[in-house]
Amino acid sequence: MKPKIGIFGLSGCWGEQIVILNCEDQLLDIVGAVDIVDFLGGSSANDEEGPLAVAFIEGSVANAREEASLRRIRERAQLLVACGSCACFGGVAAMDAMEPREQVIQRVYGDYGAAIGWDIGPHRPLGDFVKVDVAIPGCPMEKTEFLKVVASLLNGDVPLLPAYPVCLECKMNENDCLLVNQGLPCAGPVTVAGCGARCPAYNVACIGCRGPVEEANISSLEKILLEKKLHEVEIKRKLRTFAAPVLDREEKRGLA
Amino acid sequence: MTRTITIDHLSRVEGHGGITVVLEGDRVSKVEFDVFEGIRLFEGLVRGRSMEDVTGIVSRICAICSHGHSITSLQALENALGVEVTPQTRRLRDLAYHGSNIESHALHVFCLALPDLLGHPSVVSLAGVMPDAVKTALRLKKLGNTIQEVIGGRAVHPVNYVIGGFGKVPGTDDLLALKKEITAGLADCERALEVLATVSIPDFVREPIRCAALLPEDEAFFFGSIIGICDGDGVTRIPVRDYRTLTNEHCVSHSHAKHSQHDNRSYMVGALARLTLNGSRIDGLARKAWERLRLSVPSANIVMNNIAQAVEMIYSVEQALKIVNGLIAEGIRDEASALYRPHACRGAAATEVPRGTLYYSYELDDQGRVLSADVITPTAQNLSNAEDQMRAVVTQTAGVSDSLLKQWLQIVARAYDPCISCSVHVIRATN
Repeated sequence: MKPKIGIFGLSGCWGEQIVILNCEDQLLDIVGAVDIVDFLGGSSANDEEGPLAVAFIEGSVANAREEASLRRIRERAQLLVACGSCACFGGVAAMDAMEPREQVIQRVYGDYGAAIGWDIGPHRPLGDFVKVDVAIPGCPMEKTEFLKVVASLLNGDVPLLPAYPVCLECKMNENDCLLVNQGLPCAGPVTVAGCGARCPAYNVACIGCRGPVEEANISSLEKILLEKKLHEVEIKRKLRTFAAPVLDREEKRGLA
Repeated sequence: MTRTITIDHLSRVEGHGGITVVLEGDRVSKVEFDVFEGIRLFEGLVRGRSMEDVTGIVSRICAICSHGHSITSLQALENALGVEVTPQTRRLRDLAYHGSNIESHALHVFCLALPDLLGHPSVVSLAGVMPDAVKTALRLKKLGNTIQEVIGGRAVHPVNYVIGGFGKVPGTDDLLALKKEITAGLADCERALEVLATVSIPDFVREPIRCAALLPEDEAFFFGSIIGICDGDGVTRIPVRDYRTLTNEHCVSHSHAKHSQHDNRSYMVGALARLTLNGSRIDGLARKAWERLRLSVPSANIVMNNIAQAVEMIYSVEQALKIVNGLIAEGIRDEASALYRPHACRGAAATEVPRGTLYYSYELDDQGRVLSADVITPTAQNLSNAEDQMRAVVTQTAGVSDSLLKQWLQIVARAYDPCISCSVHVIRATN
């Protein structure tokens, strides 16, 4: 019997579901190897209760409703795969703002928003609520890494994804260093690899969309960027765009 | 007697939404297109961020329209800063838009809408009986992605778009490779047309559709500085800089999302609206498809938006080939992106993304930091119109069973190709 798979989206841009659908050359093979039984984005006939071998989940948890649905999926799934930076790290919706969220809401939606009293829980990664078995970072996740994880799991293997920074991939591609040679604010040294250093290949500085590499030396990069005359607050906000919740946690752990 | 019809969670749409209809006897008392996507507050989050950072952030509003979000954001910044891009940059951006249009329409027409029209729950189930049709659709979808990758560096959340141009201009080899792919895509368009010609479009609701779209000024189909909105037999023209007089965004008590109305009436944006206003531009195979699929505009059948998307998809393949051939013939130049200097300024821009008109405006301080940002997505504009159409479905089909009505309401909702993930302006009420 083919393993039963579920594909789910919490709050996000649908990027990982689009990446899955963008595997045009492999899609029919994947459908041949697994049974996609719960995928609201792709089907109107779903089994929303039964057990799953693997649940792929994109997006962050923004409210109690999403937390409850995440917990239900976890109970059903043998393995839970967090797909993309929102699911792994909280993503862009969790970035620092200039003012408290209540005020941001007031700014975007006016008095109407304030009057309703929304459920405005901060966007948080899946790992804050449930056990995550495999994390595929990236905004969006790379097609190649998704396919690698699917292939590994089908073969009963533990998927291995890079645990080194974008900087290393960039060096291997022999790109000109945007940070050192061109003085651009590149997040490559602290960002986890897997994208093939895509942005620097286009002469564009890495914006850290894949989240922090393990044991990232962020304070050292901040020092370099300060020397490049970047404003301290801007540096902080820049480096915390995609992964503020996990960086907060790391910081706390460092202080403890 | 009160009767409530609820669709908890719409399937085969991007994002989380539902439909609630309440009837008092034969009278429809409430139609809600509910949106329960978590709020993400992009316009508030980008305040204080540098103008170089914002485009990479707002791209994340929506994966499937990420090229459109990026380029519209850049055009608003460029309009604010007074930056003029080169004709080559404009043509490459136009090409990327055709890529997005091919990808998005191929996905929607074949993978999300066609299963409805042929009585299947999903494209996987459809692939079981029409494998060649699905493979054709997937190849076209891939072609759209390839174009977006070559110009933007990545299919979802492009990396190569910067203020004034590109990080890296694609080379002649890239364009030659694209040309080959697009030429093959033309043959797939013929195949796709054969499939669609066998599908009958349901006609359970007749309700006039008021259309709005940008009016193109040159060969770029998706760009323009004037919005046209159909009013009776005429077209009202509104400059993009005054877009708020069209969109009039407001919060409404019965809905969880901001709505747009013009002169207190809803309007529709998207492929059907574009072809209603700018259809005279459609020629070649796309024109043949138009006739063969019996599209007529203005249409009073919203489900025809799926057909309009199919015609546009073919048009985009043909246009993409034209642009690529032109760039190859003239020789693509490795232009540096236009220079700019931060200063206090404000600017707006609009483009036609697959689902309709997308508006951006920014106000910047003298350091180039964002003081305020406004984003209005096509789906936000369409919500009010979608509710009007759903109300018409319920009114015009009195006596049908709840299950059939539910099916029809979903077909109507999906006809708009709603992109609920375009979460700016999407409000979530408490549980």
